[in-house]
Amino acid sequence: MTSLSEEVLLVVKKVRQKKQDGTLYLMAERIAWGPEGKDRFTVSHLYADIRCQKISPDGKAKVQLQLVLHTGESTTFHFANESTALKDREAAKELLQQLLPKFKKKANKELEEKNRMLQEDPVLFQLYKDLVVSQVISAEEFWANRLGGINNTDPSPYNNKQEVGISGAFLADIRPQTDGCNGLRYNLTADIIESIFRTYPAVKQKYSENVPHNLTEKEFWTRFFQSHYFHRDRINTGTQDIFSECAKQDEKGLKSLVTQGVKNPLVDLQSLEDKTLDEGYGICTTQPSTSNANKSVKDSSNSAIIKRFNHHSAMVLAAGSRRGELASDQASETSSTDGNSRDSDFFQPPVKKVKLQEAIEFEDLQRENRPKTVPLNLKKSDRYAHGPVPLQSQQYTTSQDIINSVNYIRHEMANYKPSLTQVLSSTAATSAIAALSPGGVLMQGGAQQAINQMVPTEVQGELKHLYVAAGELLRHFWSCFPVNTPFLEEKLTGHLEEMLQTAYSKFQIWQTRRMMRKT
Amino acid sequence: MKLNIEGLLVYFPYDYIYPEQYSYMLELKRTLDAKGHGVLEMPSGTGKTISLLSLIVAYQRAFPLEVTKLIYCSRTVPEIEKVVEELRKLMEFYTKETGESNNFLALALSSRKNLCIHPEILHANIVVYSYHYLLDPKIADLVSKELAKKSVVVFDEAHNIDNVCIDSMSVNITRRTLDRCQNNVDTLQNTIHKIKETDAAKLREEYRRLVEGLKEANVARETDIYLANPVLPDEILQEAVPGSIRTAEHFVGFMRRFLEYLKSRLRVQHVVQESAPQFLKDIFDKVCIDRKPLRFCAERLQSLLRTLEIADIADFSAVTLISNFATLVSTYSQGFTIIIEPFEDRTPTIANPVLHFSCMDPSIAIKPVFQRFQSVVITSGTLSPLDIYPRILDFRPVTMASFTMTLARTCLCPLIVGRGNDQVALSSKFETREDFAVIRNYGNLLLEMSAIVPDGIVAFFTSYVYMENIVASWYEQGILENIQRNKLIFIETQDAAETSMALEKYQEACENGRGAILLSVARGKVSEGIDFVHHYGRAVLMFGVPYVYTQSRILKARLEYLRDQFQIRENDFLTFDAMRHAAQCVGRAIRGKTDYGLMIFADKRYARADKRGKLPRWIQEHINDGSLNLTVDEAVQLSKHFLRQMAQPFRQEDQLGLSLLTLEQLESEEMLQKITQIAHQT
Repeated sequence: MTSLSEEVLLVVKKVRQKKQDGTLYLMAERIAWGPEGKDRFTVSHLYADIRCQKISPDGKAKVQLQLVLHTGESTTFHFANESTALKDREAAKELLQQLLPKFKKKANKELEEKNRMLQEDPVLFQLYKDLVVSQVISAEEFWANRLGGINNTDPSPYNNKQEVGISGAFLADIRPQTDGCNGLRYNLTADIIESIFRTYPAVKQKYSENVPHNLTEKEFWTRFFQSHYFHRDRINTGTQDIFSECAKQDEKGLKSLVTQGVKNPLVDLQSLEDKTLDEGYGICTTQPSTSNANKSVKDSSNSAIIKRFNHHSAMVLAAGSRRGELASDQASETSSTDGNSRDSDFFQPPVKKVKLQEAIEFEDLQRENRPKTVPLNLKKSDRYAHGPVPLQSQQYTTSQDIINSVNYIRHEMANYKPSLTQVLSSTAATSAIAALSPGGVLMQGGAQQAINQMVPTEVQGELKHLYVAAGELLRHFWSCFPVNTPFLEEKLTGHLEEMLQTAYSKFQIWQTRRMMRKT
Repeated sequence: MKLNIEGLLVYFPYDYIYPEQYSYMLELKRTLDAKGHGVLEMPSGTGKTISLLSLIVAYQRAFPLEVTKLIYCSRTVPEIEKVVEELRKLMEFYTKETGESNNFLALALSSRKNLCIHPEILHANIVVYSYHYLLDPKIADLVSKELAKKSVVVFDEAHNIDNVCIDSMSVNITRRTLDRCQNNVDTLQNTIHKIKETDAAKLREEYRRLVEGLKEANVARETDIYLANPVLPDEILQEAVPGSIRTAEHFVGFMRRFLEYLKSRLRVQHVVQESAPQFLKDIFDKVCIDRKPLRFCAERLQSLLRTLEIADIADFSAVTLISNFATLVSTYSQGFTIIIEPFEDRTPTIANPVLHFSCMDPSIAIKPVFQRFQSVVITSGTLSPLDIYPRILDFRPVTMASFTMTLARTCLCPLIVGRGNDQVALSSKFETREDFAVIRNYGNLLLEMSAIVPDGIVAFFTSYVYMENIVASWYEQGILENIQRNKLIFIETQDAAETSMALEKYQEACENGRGAILLSVARGKVSEGIDFVHHYGRAVLMFGVPYVYTQSRILKARLEYLRDQFQIRENDFLTFDAMRHAAQCVGRAIRGKTDYGLMIFADKRYARADKRGKLPRWIQEHINDGSLNLTVDEAVQLSKHFLRQMAQPFRQEDQLGLSLLTLEQLESEEMLQKITQIAHQT
């Protein structure tokens, strides 16, 4: 029984849990619930164990609060006091809101880490499900040699994890749908909006300027999709919409990017040629009409598209690397000043020097100084690289065989005498022709169809899971060698064998199930 | 390592050597021994430059009296700088090996803006500069005319050398040129007036010199001190400047008359095409200008500008242009054509008359070089078919060889995609250029490739207009959107600064793993000057056959000339020209033996023997019968296969003994035997 000396911060009566009435207690370090009329808690969670709380939406008949634990379990409380249910829930929620963050830091770091790893790595999660949840191996064993990094107090690899970039085609993902009455519907998700904002800061600025004072969010996006800005093939004909300014800003940004010039002199097309011919000399084979006067509307719309693509790609690229930019910029700057001081005999910018060195280097002509590694020696590198192919094409015919059979057929054809009493029925003949036509059954051997194109993806997925799980078990198995502790011996002879057995039978079950499904 | 090339000790600044490098040095040495010219094709990325430098430097050291100077010409500034870096490496190696600091002087000239014609150029052992310094008579006269006869001249990246020659001898005159020239002439007249008042003696002195004639230059040429100037033909040197243009005022008056005549010629309503003699006859009939004074125009103007002590010659570029034109048109009765167009073909309503004075014979500009220097080597990664260069440049080489790239693994994969998955024939030929099905299939090819090729893909189109249309069409069809799911898209524009930016971003996207596609144009700056090594270009797609714009009158005239003078059929030349550009484009992706890349020729016409046969040998030999007329799907399958194989680690040991040799391996009898097969003599 819990000591009563604990400080009780809040008591809420008439709270149901698993359809039982009871009382909820919020204490200094834990939350607990006891059924009515009993003097003990049947539910008790340390705040440190709680990952988060969730509440039922307003307007639902039941007023509920759910606690999700780090382990993934959850407990739901139903506030049943009709008159004050909402108020009770709010009070509990508020208090939890204050308390939980305090314990967050104290929360089991390891557990959190495991959780994070499982969340971030779907393959690992699947493995966890296959091996631990289905009780092939225990959780401790599963984690035994994975958590090495966690207990090392080196959080760096996790803290500066790479930020997810933006898909280059995010605008394409906003497919308009007709709503059936002369309108278009665009589906925007938070992700897409985020992408738009990150890629086009000018739009974000417009958004913060106009929403919600001048426009509602919906109006804002409606105008966005109607704008010339969004449709890159249309030329801005001077109609005023709020995005024409964005287009101008883009133009400016593009210009400043261009005038900034490039850092790598080897891609600088302007200084590529030592000497362009003086004006008036040379042959102009094509006449590129650069003057705007004689450009057709189509031409300028085409070049507008090209400009926009370059701009878009540059912006997407910049959005992805914006974070790391500061650091790398500084680095390059320091290195450049550094390089200059050393490079006294030539006033070449160091970037150039480095790039030139790179360009003339023949790494294979120089003796390697790298540590020797053991090369992977594959007997059938083709199978390694391309995966299994159907057995059919593995049946190897030598060219001699082929020549022989061609000769044989030729011979047969030459001596062919039709015996008109024994001919194929017309249906059989048609099907034979079909089978021998491109795409027919007998013509498939030539095109090496990879097996991954013949097997449905779900089956591939299942097989992959089994394969990964078996691999993990084998890893455990091999890691027991050399067997130099009694524990390892125990592990090896005792349950590892059992485990492999389990895994094997799992595979067998899957296979039989597959066969059954097939037939 | 130290090599023995037929008795010559060559210091080679690497631990290993490619067999073809050895073979290349052998051929080069034979060329120098014979004191003749050579045409050598060796794939880029096989260390052509260092082989050249190593051998010629060794030769210079061994026979200082036979070869006194190496003149190394390349096309772009980065190329020139790379040569200098390689040379530096070689010199460091010499110092390390021999222990003595070498007294070799190498000089690199780049950018005329800070050009300094120091006498050092005469003493340098090696001069590295751009083609123009030797081929453009206007510059060659300033920079190169005193270079020693016993020099070896190397033109690297020489696959376009004929065009450089032609460009340097061609002149275009517009109304604006004439207006500016008019201003120049006015300025000259005023200056002459002023000088007359202050320092008439100067002008008298000039007159005296002109009576003497250009004897001085003649003496120099006879005693073989100078490189001949094709704008200054021999006959002129014998004579005095004609009386009609000897005084400064007369000359200015003469120029005015010439100018008025040109103005009247530009007032045409229809296209005129005539030969130089026809032009001379017309000018004599109309304004009584004789051929002789015209020939002296360029020299006469230079003399005047010197006399008047005009510092900024750039201000007088228009009158210089006109005087050069006058000299050229009166000197060469053959090899040039005059075309006067009153407007551009695309915009017949806007008057914009241009007089094109086009050189059609590249041999005119390069002739003095071949005549003067004892060995001229023309080399590049793509010079096929080799025999066409001696024909159009009019010289007789002593060696002609094409070297293959020895490979331990086949790191290039040329595929010819001739059909879409729907069996529609793919081609950029004129009739189907606008065909929706072709454009869609091209888009599909790029889309499929974007899904399977890692990092960078470069796609080349036959022309800028063609690319613009296809991009617009792909945009409308949503193909570009789908490509964007796989890679970022960057597109070459007609603005060099904008394209540079796009290029840098493209490289950045390849670098950080996102992957990108660069859409570019054959014959453009990117295709000629930018390398896409390693992950910057894992696949190059060539959409269509990059034929030159054949409707141009200048091109037609040139084709006619080639047919009449050199017996080169129009189609042969056009195909040769298209294929050398295609080879340049696809060759951008392979820059070494550790590199790898797909080369996709997306046009069914590439499968024909007359096209395929004009590709460099090192590409041609990897095109097998199975990759001649593929559908998009088949190409994707083959590409996947290739890329997976290439992605496996490739180590030095894998190459050793096959495509990479130690000194012992090189010296083995068996290897030397093999090496003789690398050079393919034609």
